[in-house]
Amino acid sequence: MKTTQTIFEDGSHKWTAIVRDPARPDYLIDTNEYLIQHAGQGLLLDPGGSEIFPAVFSALSSEFDPSKLVGIFASHQDPDIISSLALWLEFNPGMKCYVSWLWGSFIPHFGGTAETFVALPDEGETIPLAGLPLQAVPAHYLHSSGNLHLYDRQAKILFSGDVGAALLPADKQNLFVEDFAAHIRHAEAFHRRWMGSNEAKRRWCERVSQMDIDMMCPQHGAIYRGADVQRFINWFDELNVGITRA
Amino acid sequence: MQMMAGLTAGDGRERGHASSGAALDLLRIVRINEEIKRVVSVAFKINIMALNAIFLAKRAGNAALGFGVLSNELRVFSKDLRESMMTLTRLIHESVAEVSVILQESRQDELFRRTAALRPDDRQLAVVLDRRDRRHAEREERIAVLRRELRMAVDDAARLVELGGVLAKSAKIEAAYGAGFATSLGQVSGEFDGIVEEIRASLDKLRHSSFFGGSA
Repeated sequence: MKTTQTIFEDGSHKWTAIVRDPARPDYLIDTNEYLIQHAGQGLLLDPGGSEIFPAVFSALSSEFDPSKLVGIFASHQDPDIISSLALWLEFNPGMKCYVSWLWGSFIPHFGGTAETFVALPDEGETIPLAGLPLQAVPAHYLHSSGNLHLYDRQAKILFSGDVGAALLPADKQNLFVEDFAAHIRHAEAFHRRWMGSNEAKRRWCERVSQMDIDMMCPQHGAIYRGADVQRFINWFDELNVGITRA
Repeated sequence: MQMMAGLTAGDGRERGHASSGAALDLLRIVRINEEIKRVVSVAFKINIMALNAIFLAKRAGNAALGFGVLSNELRVFSKDLRESMMTLTRLIHESVAEVSVILQESRQDELFRRTAALRPDDRQLAVVLDRRDRRHAEREERIAVLRRELRMAVDDAARLVELGGVLAKSAKIEAAYGAGFATSLGQVSGEFDGIVEEIRASLDKLRHSSFFGGSA
């Protein structure tokens, strides 16, 4: 089963990371899920693939009533992001799925009805969670052509989807980045190959540089906090992406 | 991760078997559909043959009056057979849709079972599992109804083909009275008979399909 770790808490406002499943088969990529709670309601960020649903559901349920989930935010359309959608909807069929408009007619192949989906425009949009404004931030082509991140201004946390992701070896499974230089080696090849556009990357770096961010939470790997957030942005800005060795 | 251990919510969840049963059913339905396609194609051939036989009977005149009547009847038979096959095809499509949903849901049920093993006392999970059990039972019932309707439609088609067989054999007898055209008429009626036998064999295969509890 996955474990949960509270990474931010202020009254009823809380961020929980759902991470690291020791029983996960090696052929499935490891993913991080995040739960934002506010005033008794929950929003689940990139809930993961259907194969890991049992582990994510069990961990989340130990922390939060799943019927109080009012929405799911999907940074993009990949199966490791959102293929569990139909399973989550069993607990609250009225739940909303926030996703880029580009994938509005693709993700329903994983489940849901026309009423399930809230199509987010390219420029992003504010998603309210029991009065807490959460900002969907454009990250198109990083890596998906319709890609959004989610910024919580009050918690100063940016959920960054695949940006910042690292494929960590078994002996380096810390939740937070502890040694940036050592950590980023596990992120480099991933970013070079998966991030498709230097232009899009430059725009994203400019955009997030202007945000007040204490923690940057990727969907794979470890969380960047404090000065490592800006370190990552600077590193990413310098990186030449959208290339293969071949 | 321990599988199935501590599962408490409902005992009617042997969906691993349901899933493989549904997969087998889908395979059987696909085979039935292939057989139906064969019959439809042959039925179309009878229609063309009957049309040619009608022209031949007209050329033969009074000597082939009986043969002409039977050729007309064979044309009607071909049309009825195609309609019968359309009914079967519709039922097959409905069955495929139902079985496909069962297959898809069985996959999800397996994931819920794994979740229940991790959280054996979760009430919300138990509610979801019960709801899915009821839904599954309704789908199984619909499949059972479709299976019965399909079997009845296959039996109806088989009765129709019996009639076709009688017509083809009568045409053979009538051909013998065709005077100068007896050889040509005999050849045509022989082909009718052969084709009806081919359809009969196909329908026999369908009737013995394991989808209906048979061995084929």
